[in-house]
Amino acid sequence: MMGSLRRIGAVAGNTFLEAVRQKVFAVLLVFGLVLIYGANYFTEFSFQEQFKFLKDLGYAAISLTGLLVGLLGATQLIPGEIERRTILTALCRPLRRWEFVVGKYLGLSILLAVMIGVMAVAVAGVLGWKEAHLIAREGSDPAVAALIRAEARDPRLIQALVLLEVKLAVVAAIAVFFSTVATSTTFVMAMTLMVYLIGHLQSVAREQWLESGEVASWAAKFFLAGVAFLVPDFNLYNLIDEIVAGNAVSWRSTLEVVGYSGVYIAVLLTAASVVFEGRDI
Amino acid sequence: MTQSQRKATYGFTGPTAVAIREKLGQGLALAALGGFRGLAANALMLQAHGAWEEQQWVRVRSSLELATLLQPRVAVFWDTASWHLAWNAAVAAERYSGEPSETRRRLEARRWVEAGRSLLERGTKAVPERALLFQRLGDLYWQRLEDYQAAADCYRQAIAKGDAPPYLERFVGYALEKAGDKRGALAYFRELRAQMGTPPNPERKPEVVDREILKLEKELSVQASAKKK
Repeated sequence: MMGSLRRIGAVAGNTFLEAVRQKVFAVLLVFGLVLIYGANYFTEFSFQEQFKFLKDLGYAAISLTGLLVGLLGATQLIPGEIERRTILTALCRPLRRWEFVVGKYLGLSILLAVMIGVMAVAVAGVLGWKEAHLIAREGSDPAVAALIRAEARDPRLIQALVLLEVKLAVVAAIAVFFSTVATSTTFVMAMTLMVYLIGHLQSVAREQWLESGEVASWAAKFFLAGVAFLVPDFNLYNLIDEIVAGNAVSWRSTLEVVGYSGVYIAVLLTAASVVFEGRDI
Repeated sequence: MTQSQRKATYGFTGPTAVAIREKLGQGLALAALGGFRGLAANALMLQAHGAWEEQQWVRVRSSLELATLLQPRVAVFWDTASWHLAWNAAVAAERYSGEPSETRRRLEARRWVEAGRSLLERGTKAVPERALLFQRLGDLYWQRLEDYQAAADCYRQAIAKGDAPPYLERFVGYALEKAGDKRGALAYFRELRAQMGTPPNPERKPEVVDREILKLEKELSVQASAKKK
């Protein structure tokens, strides 16, 4: 058991370092510039709206960057290793295939976590800058200053970050699963993006379909249930919108979504390991 | 939440994939349905702002309606939307130089105020746990419809939410007074003062409440003595 953990840790660390050397963090500079530009853009709105826009922009930028890094990273993980034949040198050592898959996934997850952390610090910095700017301009009334501070230092934003992290971890797990099946990086990216979109649309489509009364047969209902079972419901992560809107979201709900994501990640990694075990390299 | 549940809770059905696609255009629809609903709603708010600057009120209204439809839980969207409709659009209609009939101008202005009221009422159903929209609805009844009794009711509801600003509790009494219910206002202010306890929280401005009580007592005793004579 300890040996497995050590080997998984080695693969994860190696994957993380490899990704960092690929200058992935250069995108963070672009991210910071987008945020600073965004912070100056919405000045004609009320401070509540300005903070809302800024938080939305920050979380969307983190989400999009994380999605791209997760996708590109995952497509390089296994197909890239096979293409370069470096996988042979890794697997000829006492390393089980499932350990290789889990290690690669953990490395990617660490990379995503570090990126989200750095970007979150940038968002916090811009929010702090906005807070100081708004207090200097509108905060002569202590009550208004307190409201501005509450908007800028909302502790619930940590919950949003946790949700974002697990959402991207699920996307990365989907990409890792497809990367064990496919030989082409384009296929991995296309399939992962498709699942991502279906995950966002499935609850809306299901609702629309069921309410229109078109789903009468048990076969259609079975199909819908199958889609709901196989594809994670990404609308669950819309709790982030609630938090950005300034509404209360309990930690219990957040942890339920984290648990749901954990189950999907475990299932996807198990499936990926099983597929990879039987694959000719 | 299904459409019927949403209808029961919020009083409207909310966005469906088809409605979003039809009304938003491809880019925004993709953003809204692809997990970036907040960004799409913000883009609509920016559109509404641009239309407001050009005094394009129908565009203002449609953009705001869509933004609130996409993110019904954002109280500040409902607030801004109702302000644009019930204040800005209504005042623009009142002052519209292209319509010579004052009656028609007033009717048009009233329509915009009603549109703002309807929007805020939906907002209070969408975000029922916060005071802001109840307070704004009270302001609308007070300032735009001059229905002070309804304003007092809305302020009471806002106070019950627990996150209303401290000054709002006095506005229930002011609204009752404006509605002509001076006895009700006096009873309310007395009850409010009794709730403040000793020593009262200075943020709740007990001296202002005391002043209102004295003023109302004086007015009511003058009225009573005038009746006796």
